[in-house]
Amino acid sequence: MLNQANLGLIFLSAFLVNNILLIRFLGLCSFFGISTQVKASTGMGIAVIFVTVMATSLSWAVYNYLLLPFHLEYLRTVTFILTIASFVQFEEIIIRKKLPTLYKAFGIYLPLITTNCAILACAFLGIDYKLSFIQNLVFSIGISSGYAFVIVLFASIRERLEISPLPEIFKGIPIAFITAGLMSLAFLGFKGLFKL
Amino acid sequence: MKKKEIIGGVLILTIITALSGYLLAQVYKTTKPAIEKQKKIEEEKVNRGIFPDGVEFIEKEENGVKYFSVLNSKKEEIGKIFTTSSLGYGGYIKIKVGIDKNGKIKGIKILQHNETPGLGAKITEDKFLSQFKGKTAEELYLKKDKSEGRIDAITGATISSRAVTDGVRKLLEKINKKEVRSEN
Amino acid sequence: MKIDFKNFIKGIWRENPIFYLMLGLCPLLAVSGSVRDSLGMGIAVIFVLTGSNFTVSLIRKFVPSHVRIPVFIVVIATFVTITDYSLAAISPQIHRNLGVYLPLIVVNCIILGRAEAYASKNNIINSILDGLGVGIGFTIAIFIISLIRELLGNGTIMGHQIMGANYTPFLIMIMPPGAFLVIGFLVAIKQGIEKRGKKC
Repeated sequence: MLNQANLGLIFLSAFLVNNILLIRFLGLCSFFGISTQVKASTGMGIAVIFVTVMATSLSWAVYNYLLLPFHLEYLRTVTFILTIASFVQFEEIIIRKKLPTLYKAFGIYLPLITTNCAILACAFLGIDYKLSFIQNLVFSIGISSGYAFVIVLFASIRERLEISPLPEIFKGIPIAFITAGLMSLAFLGFKGLFKL
Repeated sequence: MKKKEIIGGVLILTIITALSGYLLAQVYKTTKPAIEKQKKIEEEKVNRGIFPDGVEFIEKEENGVKYFSVLNSKKEEIGKIFTTSSLGYGGYIKIKVGIDKNGKIKGIKILQHNETPGLGAKITEDKFLSQFKGKTAEELYLKKDKSEGRIDAITGATISSRAVTDGVRKLLEKINKKEVRSEN
Repeated sequence: MKIDFKNFIKGIWRENPIFYLMLGLCPLLAVSGSVRDSLGMGIAVIFVLTGSNFTVSLIRKFVPSHVRIPVFIVVIATFVTITDYSLAAISPQIHRNLGVYLPLIVVNCIILGRAEAYASKNNIINSILDGLGVGIGFTIAIFIISLIRELLGNGTIMGHQIMGANYTPFLIMIMPPGAFLVIGFLVAIKQGIEKRGKKC
């Protein structure tokens, strides 16, 4: 069904309508942990876009050219997570050598991306929706930029919240969740966008 | 020293992965028949819900379109069941449509949707779906869209209702066109 | 062999994975709109957690430190796949409702966290207990949240109508924002309780 839609629709659906963080609830662990600062969030966002797009495309190729022809579909969970983990490892080594300042900026976030549900989910969803390679590419770009967009937005709100007067019991996690809830509400409004 | 460590580590990882692969292959083999059976049971249930008097449901394919041919106890075809999808409010809606021998709708069922709970999601309710029984293509419009239309939209869920209505009508039109052509 | 019951209880209350540690959020929010699905997810997590804790503890002496994370991940992924296919064979409806969130248990921080923090350092019996404790803690938490969400958002529990026919459901509750809001308020309440305790 999604694979019958045009590329623009696929992107919009992934980016806004079915936003990975606020509507699909994926990628939340790192979301709440990192989004206290805009700078860190931007870095994480960019890293996520990069890793997601590459890892998803790689996983797509592995599934369609390796697993499917040999009827090994049930190995997809294991293979995908290994693909993503190795890719992140690989990327970490390269960035450490070629762009050391960027590496320092990422800090511990880079290896943390491996357990980011958003990336694994993106790989799974691309297969479940039976997307073609190009569709999968656009889809992964949509998903990951949706993530980056929301996390930066959220961080800027949280930075303001830090210095605002709040009842004691709401400080920290509760207000973060409530804020996320309100943002999620706003994003729900995008649902009718398909009829554009 | 380091190289030996790395090789040892990779070896362990490979062994574990191989074991895992073997284990999963066994699990897959064991569960596959049960999963297939469940799928068939579910599909039968939906098909039977649309054609309660159907005895046999046989999968067929004509001109690239898959459908279920519904047979009665005398092995005569009393209708066909198709699957179609229509763009709704929150995404595509998957619909199963039963068409009887006279080219009218026998019944429809919603298989999958992403509509708003409490509003568009009401398209799965019998109250809405039962309206489609016995309708011809000309009647398959929302009352508010065309005067010949015989379908009441769900309050507050016009887009979802219209998506289902239009989807079913387009399918019916397509099928009837093909049948007319094949008769000639 | 000492049986570590304290650790078992810890997983359920004091260090409840969700309310206390804020781990494993993704499946929680996605599935907690329905009590039935939440229990399904809870059972899946218990199974995967116990199984992987058991396996990790079993092989902990053979796995060199620098490959332990990938090895743990493969073990967890194996159990998740077993759960995935078993559930599809037993109850296709729950399997469908859990959807993509079932295989995502693989990257559920809770499971990798327990494997790393406990199972790789303790004997088999205690590791199994640990898995059970944390899994039960997770299930209790997701059960409470889904109870609130389904009751308020749909008027039902497990599909049975509880609220009267005139009850207009608080629709937000079963949609994504509702999940965030319910957890936000629950944690606020918990923080309130803890504060009161400190005052005394």
